Amino acid sequence: MNIQFNKRDPIYLQVVQYFKQEMAIAHLKPGQEIPSRRDLANQLKINPNTAQKAYKEMENSGLIYTEGNLPSRITEDNHVLKNIRKELIDEATDHFIAAIKPIHVPLDELVDLVTEKYTQASKDKEDLHD
Amino acid sequence: MKNYLKLVSFELSRFIKIYIALIVVTTVSQFAGVFSQSRNYAATVNQTLQQESFSLNDYFVSYPPLTFINVTVSGWFIIPIIFSAAALVFYSFFIWYRDWFGKNAFIYRLLMLPTNRINLFFSKLTAILLMVLGLVATQLILIPLESALFNQLLPDYLRYNLSTQTIISSSEYLSVLFPDSFIQFLIYYGLGSLVLIVLFTIILFERSFHLKGIVFGGLFGAGTFILMLSPFIIQTKLSPYYLYPIENFAIELFLGIVISIFSIWVSHYLLNKKITV
Amino acid sequence: MIEVKNITKKFGNKKILKGLSFTAKKGEITCLIGINGAGKTTALNAIMNLTPLTSGEILIDGKKLTKESYQTIAFIPDTIAMLSQMTIRQAMHFMKDFYTTWNQERANELLNFFQLTETQKIATLSKGNTAKINLMLGLALDVDYLLMDEPFSGIDIFSREQITSVFTSHLIEDRGVLITTHEISDIEHLIDKVILIDDGIVVKDFNAEDMREQEEKSILDVMREVYVK
Repeated sequence: MNIQFNKRDPIYLQVVQYFKQEMAIAHLKPGQEIPSRRDLANQLKINPNTAQKAYKEMENSGLIYTEGNLPSRITEDNHVLKNIRKELIDEATDHFIAAIKPIHVPLDELVDLVTEKYTQASKDKEDLHD
Repeated sequence: MKNYLKLVSFELSRFIKIYIALIVVTTVSQFAGVFSQSRNYAATVNQTLQQESFSLNDYFVSYPPLTFINVTVSGWFIIPIIFSAAALVFYSFFIWYRDWFGKNAFIYRLLMLPTNRINLFFSKLTAILLMVLGLVATQLILIPLESALFNQLLPDYLRYNLSTQTIISSSEYLSVLFPDSFIQFLIYYGLGSLVLIVLFTIILFERSFHLKGIVFGGLFGAGTFILMLSPFIIQTKLSPYYLYPIENFAIELFLGIVISIFSIWVSHYLLNKKITV
Repeated sequence: MIEVKNITKKFGNKKILKGLSFTAKKGEITCLIGINGAGKTTALNAIMNLTPLTSGEILIDGKKLTKESYQTIAFIPDTIAMLSQMTIRQAMHFMKDFYTTWNQERANELLNFFQLTETQKIATLSKGNTAKINLMLGLALDVDYLLMDEPFSGIDIFSREQITSVFTSHLIEDRGVLITTHEISDIEHLIDKVILIDDGIVVKDFNAEDMREQEEKSILDVMREVYVK
């Protein structure tokens, strides 16, 4: 687990965001046990209170669940997991659009460009894995 | 109490190497003194006898025999004692200042010990007093040993045997180190302790108020000094021998105790409320 | 909770503290930030009764500091508070001798973590390792509060990393930590509460996460606003 924190966003939200990403790509699988708040704090080098707050936030929004005194687990609720994926995609797309819009690129050109670059990036990644 | 004893042993252990060095230097120097003095004396006597063609009996008409007292006034004997005394006087200051000015600020640790801070004062005081008594005791053991060596080195007819007691009482400074009465002992060592207690309080004044503290401490020291002398000052005004010696002793004892208690109380206050790291 | 209430301190005619007030809670890491000479160290010394105050009051869990308090509140000064001729073992012995709250198991754990052996003499340790031993001597006490004066200043990056990882471990958890620094970047992620001091008073006092959440400012951003005028 490794996060490059930025210093202006709340750290607990950055932790939540990180968990969402890991869940969206199934690095964290439904029902998987997650580290205790102390272990998380130690792994991420953050304050245990911040780890606590991140878990509380995730618990409230249904990303994780805790049964009794057992360790917390990633949710098995498909609906939530789908939502996370959608939310992340929406967020990233919104960012992209917000950045590209002031340049007035025609949509056709943009789609072509995205297709080309995205294919290339995926290929590079595969090459890297080989 | 337990913490006080731990602190005493700790303070002793911090000086033990130098302390042992002092004892070794004293022992070596004094034995060397016995050796060289007796050899020189024997040589001088032989030379005189040859040159002046005296008989031994004639010799002792004009010259005194050698006694151990001659040894005790030699540099070999006295200088290590003065040196040790000076080291302990110096260490009476250093025992405090080393905690502030050492490589590491050990005073932080000492002041943060979960024990009454006056224990620091008492432990340092006890350590110095024990070291003084230790050196004095060592000297007391050394004298008969040195005296025995002295007797071995010189033939009967060249020396005059003296008991340890006679040796001590015939020497001005040895009779101060080893008083022959308990009252004398109380006076000398009591005064010594009093001076040490007042000195420690003065050091604590300095450590609490720095430059101003030196002034306060100086006034405190002068005050106690005048107070101790006051019975004699007053008597010179009245009549020189207004009080019997025993009465003077009682008054001085009383003043000494009062000043010690006050000085310790002031130190307690400074350590708890005014001291700064 | 450590409550510092309106404390003032004069050195001669120079006022070092001019009515400083702040609190540090158990279970939180509170950071006193200020340039050198702002009065941070003096404030810590005053909490530990290592320097007298001109006025004001300091309470620990509602009570004034007594000699027993030294069992439950530890201070780690910026130089090691132990004799340099001692070995680590002797230093631990000394602590064990005087503090009933000394926890030898935890001391050993820390020594292991820092990869130091008890036969080493303090005088022979590097600056970073000396800082670690200094930290160990404080952390191995079962204390509620831990005060640290500039634990990161003047030591190498790897020692700094090791020390920061102690902060996120069970060794610190649930204790109240009050730390001073003039350099925030090493511990920005670790701090709960920030107290900015300038010229003997508190100029700003805030929760780091709240500041990021509500005003989207980093600690450094706030420091810039406060100190650079």
